[in-house]
Amino acid sequence: MIGTLFGVSSLLAATSGGINWHSFFFLLFALLACGLAVAVVLADNVVRMAFYLVLSLGATAGLFFLAGAEFVGAMQLMIYVGGTLVLLIFGVMLTAQEPFVAIKTPARDKVLAGIVGGGLLAVLLQAAFTGPAWSEAPADMAERTLGQVTQPSATPLGMALVGVRVDGDVASGERSPADGNVRSGYLLPFEIVSVHLLVVLVGAAYLARTKRRKAVAIARDESTTGGVR
Amino acid sequence: METDLGATLSTLLGLAWLIPLASFAAILFFGPKMGPHGRNSAWVATGAIGTSLALSLFAFGTWMVNHPPAVAHHGDHGDVHGEDHGEEHGKEHDDSHANNHSAEATNRVAARLVRFAEEQAAEGGHGDREHGDHEHDGHEHSDEGHGDEGQHADSVEHGDTGHGEKIAYSGDWYALYRSPSLVLSIGWYIDSMTVLLFVVVTFIATCIHVYATGYMHDELHDVTDHEVTLAAGGHLHRPGRFPRFFQALSLFCFSMLGIVIAGNLAMVFIFWELVGICSWFLIGFYFERKSASTAANKAFIVNRVGDFGMLIGLMALWGALGTLHFGDTVSVDAEGHQVVEPGLFSLVRPAENGHALQVPDGMVVAAAANRVGNIASTVSPEDARAVIAEQVSGWRAMGMGNWLLVVAGLGIFCGCMGKSAQVPLHVWLPDAMEGPTPVSALVHSATMVAAGVYLTGRFYPVLTPDVLVVIAYIGAITLFIAATIALVCTDIKRVLAYSTVSQLGYMMLALGVGGWVAGLFHLVTHAFFKSLLFMCSGSVIHACHTNDMRRMGGLLKKMPYTGWTMLVGCLAIIGAGVPFVIGFSGYYSKDSILAQALLFRQINPSHAILWYAAAGGAALTAFYMFRLWFMTFIGEPRDQEVAAHVHESPSVMTTPLVVLSVMAVAAGWSLGSLGVVNLLEQARPLGTAAGMTGGGLLTAAVTVPAEAASHAEAIHVTATWTAFATAGLGVLLAAAFYVWRVVNPAVIATTLRPVYVFLENKWYFDEIYNWIFVKPAHGIAMLASANDRGIIDSILHLAAWLSRQLAAIDAWIDRFLVDGLINTLANVTWTMGLRLRHVQTGRLRQYVMFIVVGTVAIFLLASMMLSATVAIP
Amino acid sequence: MNLLSDPVGVSHYLVVGAILFTTGVVCMVVKRNALGVLMGIELVLNGANVNFVAFGSPVLRGEQASILGLDGQAMALFVILLAAAEAAVALAITLNFYNNHATVDVDRADDLKG
Repeated sequence: MIGTLFGVSSLLAATSGGINWHSFFFLLFALLACGLAVAVVLADNVVRMAFYLVLSLGATAGLFFLAGAEFVGAMQLMIYVGGTLVLLIFGVMLTAQEPFVAIKTPARDKVLAGIVGGGLLAVLLQAAFTGPAWSEAPADMAERTLGQVTQPSATPLGMALVGVRVDGDVASGERSPADGNVRSGYLLPFEIVSVHLLVVLVGAAYLARTKRRKAVAIARDESTTGGVR
Repeated sequence: METDLGATLSTLLGLAWLIPLASFAAILFFGPKMGPHGRNSAWVATGAIGTSLALSLFAFGTWMVNHPPAVAHHGDHGDVHGEDHGEEHGKEHDDSHANNHSAEATNRVAARLVRFAEEQAAEGGHGDREHGDHEHDGHEHSDEGHGDEGQHADSVEHGDTGHGEKIAYSGDWYALYRSPSLVLSIGWYIDSMTVLLFVVVTFIATCIHVYATGYMHDELHDVTDHEVTLAAGGHLHRPGRFPRFFQALSLFCFSMLGIVIAGNLAMVFIFWELVGICSWFLIGFYFERKSASTAANKAFIVNRVGDFGMLIGLMALWGALGTLHFGDTVSVDAEGHQVVEPGLFSLVRPAENGHALQVPDGMVVAAAANRVGNIASTVSPEDARAVIAEQVSGWRAMGMGNWLLVVAGLGIFCGCMGKSAQVPLHVWLPDAMEGPTPVSALVHSATMVAAGVYLTGRFYPVLTPDVLVVIAYIGAITLFIAATIALVCTDIKRVLAYSTVSQLGYMMLALGVGGWVAGLFHLVTHAFFKSLLFMCSGSVIHACHTNDMRRMGGLLKKMPYTGWTMLVGCLAIIGAGVPFVIGFSGYYSKDSILAQALLFRQINPSHAILWYAAAGGAALTAFYMFRLWFMTFIGEPRDQEVAAHVHESPSVMTTPLVVLSVMAVAAGWSLGSLGVVNLLEQARPLGTAAGMTGGGLLTAAVTVPAEAASHAEAIHVTATWTAFATAGLGVLLAAAFYVWRVVNPAVIATTLRPVYVFLENKWYFDEIYNWIFVKPAHGIAMLASANDRGIIDSILHLAAWLSRQLAAIDAWIDRFLVDGLINTLANVTWTMGLRLRHVQTGRLRQYVMFIVVGTVAIFLLASMMLSATVAIP
Repeated sequence: MNLLSDPVGVSHYLVVGAILFTTGVVCMVVKRNALGVLMGIELVLNGANVNFVAFGSPVLRGEQASILGLDGQAMALFVILLAAAEAAVALAITLNFYNNHATVDVDRADDLKG
């Protein structure tokens, strides 16, 4: 549905000769994401930080959609926003005692961080504009945004995850000029990540377990036996 | 048979010589273990020297059997043979005197030694007529050698000395060093004098060993030496040194016999020095006493001064002649021919010259070195030798080489002066009395000091008239000075010491005026009576515990043996006897000396002083000897303490006294051919029977008369009566002063005070030597010491100080720079670590910042380096 | 505006990604609350994701995207997964820290100070 929306907008833009709705929405989502991210930094209240983060990541999902990566966008919303950030909010909830809700940072650190961040941003921005091909959009972008040229990414991703690459020119099984090999799928990373997730689960559960009060137990035992063992 | 006898004699006497050395070695290593406190070492030593005596007597007997000496032609001796050849000899000798005078007329100032062929011929005939029982003719020949150690064989000299025959055996046992120009060997030269002296030395040594066994009994236990005061006060207490005494005595006997048997001057020199060392040991036997150790040093050093001259003489002989052997050496060369290397005697008195003294070829050539050089440069080497040989006699006639011969003679005599205590080297002998009395008896009266006279006698053929005159004058001066000093001595041993010096002067005087037999005869008799006198004085000292005659007196009753034997000795030394009938041993020897001196004065009137010195000396001798005897044994005891403890010595000490007194009486007598004079005549060197005229280098020309001429009646009678008168005068004066007390000696001493003081201070010889030699030596030593301490030590101290400073600088460098560097490094590392530690703050946010900054920096650097264009896939 | 009418290219996405990344880094540096740091981490990962997606987007890159195929999107997917895992572990650590030290202030977690 969103795709249709986008398609309509871009068509409108093309016909009206005015707004490129793809660009408009990109700008909207980009500003949302960046602005909310900045808000995360600027907010003092950790709860508000969490909220802003949720919104920021949602906007990022929108960016993903506009880039034609619907599956990734969907996963972003589901896993990232709906899972990870919820987890984060749980954490916030657990630790949001009065003194910890809004811990102030010394101003000096903020300035320093601002400078460092500014430097990093400058470097990255400079890198972003170095690739000449990156500034231009492909010729048939309008069709691509409408989903006419490209295929939806869910199925190829799913297939890739089980080891069959069906995307791009490789569908025919030709070698990729990049690496010379027949591209393999992501089966192995998929399995690894699965195990990884299990390990994480176990580890996190263990790490966060409630520690038994050993001292209390020993004291109780001593009082009952009445003496050194 | 000849050479058998030579081998026999050399073996016998060689053994007799070496046995005391074995005794020395035995006592050296095992002395303290020989019996309690080493008591038996005395018997080892005595047994050794006694064995040597037996061997010497056996050799003597062998000699007497094989070469019985001719009876001497002295009519007025107690001679059983009874021949009187006086007039015949007088005629012969008058002829020779005439010849002497004619020869004298031909002398020129540049000396020419003339031989007397006519006399030789006359003597030779005389010799043949008298001694028919000898199987040898009066000619010289050498036997072939039979193998000995080394290639040198025995050689036998037979020669006509004019009064019998000269028979001498010489050979070598062992060559210490052999090179083309020099052979140093240990060998022998045995003639009748050697055999006689062996007997004399071993006999006296045996007596003294027995005597010393008793005299030295103090050393068998710990000794408290009252003449040594320690720094802490009190007297020295030391263990006894009994074995050491006999060890030194044995070594001395070995050395002395080595001199007697020596066949060459090098061996003589070796044993000369050895005897000197033994004397040093023995004088310094009580070495803790400063006086004794100083006296030992004095003896050795003064002897060394004499040895310096001896070395010059040795060098002159060896340099010019190439050999130091007395006799000829016969060897067999490669082709089996006999090669005879002439010895000194043959070189200086060759047979071709009738054994008259002439400057040997070697010395002539050495003196004419310039001309020899000219010849050698102009003529080829083969011809040069022939040309030189032709020229030699001409050069000799010009007097070339005479100086060398004189230097050789004077040099050797210098050594004899030192050893025999002639003026000016006499100063050591009185001080040598610091040694124990047996030492004085053996070493410093009878044997060692006689070695000088013995060597002069042995070396006699080489001495020119110049040298002989010098010897005579030195002898005369010595006898006079020593006799005057003995007049005022109060130490009993000092008197005897100066008496020894005086008698040695007599012997030298005798040799110097041509009395070869007379001088050596006196040597033999003097050995007997002087050792007797010393042993008697030792007995007295032992009894009185003092040497001072002023504390003695009236000892005759308590010490009869000592007293009467000492009287025998005194009579012997003054030459007592019934004139022309019989006398003590000294009578005969002193008579012959005075006769020869008188003859010399007759021939050379300008040298009359020698005769007066001899006669005056005889009077002085009699005076001081009897002064000694009277003061010691006659009259009232002057010190009651001494008189209270006086007792006769034990028989082990008195028996040798008696034995020696017998010899002191009888040594001058002859029994048939058995007599000292006969034996000595047999040993007379070839060519010395005739007189010599010559000289002119050191003195005006002088004639040394033939000794036979002194037996002429006129001379002999005068000499005998003079001797008797002077001796009697001396005894009477001594009796007047000390027995009858006609005059008090003390009054004379005060009246003639300057003379008395002069004599009491021994003519100030010691003081003069102190000023001339000792003080300058001390001055130089102090200069050297100051130089050493001031300059050299300062340099050393400076060097040490510099080293210390360098070390200090080094230390500073090490501590501050080297260690500082290390420490600084460590500190820097530590400090850096401390500082860097703070980077790790543990603060998470900071770490993130660093990550970011680092990433940015790397990115910037990489982009700058690669002039980044990001690759576009 | 140019931005509205011109078509969007990869570089626009890269800019967004850069901003997100930088913001995340700054958030990590500035925030004293451990959960704030976690949020910064999420922002960083998201920035990276945006980049991945941009490079692998067929829309933005046209034919060139076929070279990479779906690699970019697949990587973004994995990043999301791992971000989740990492968030879980980080949260466990934070809770543990909170249990032991009764605070979530990261400035108090300086036991590793040198």
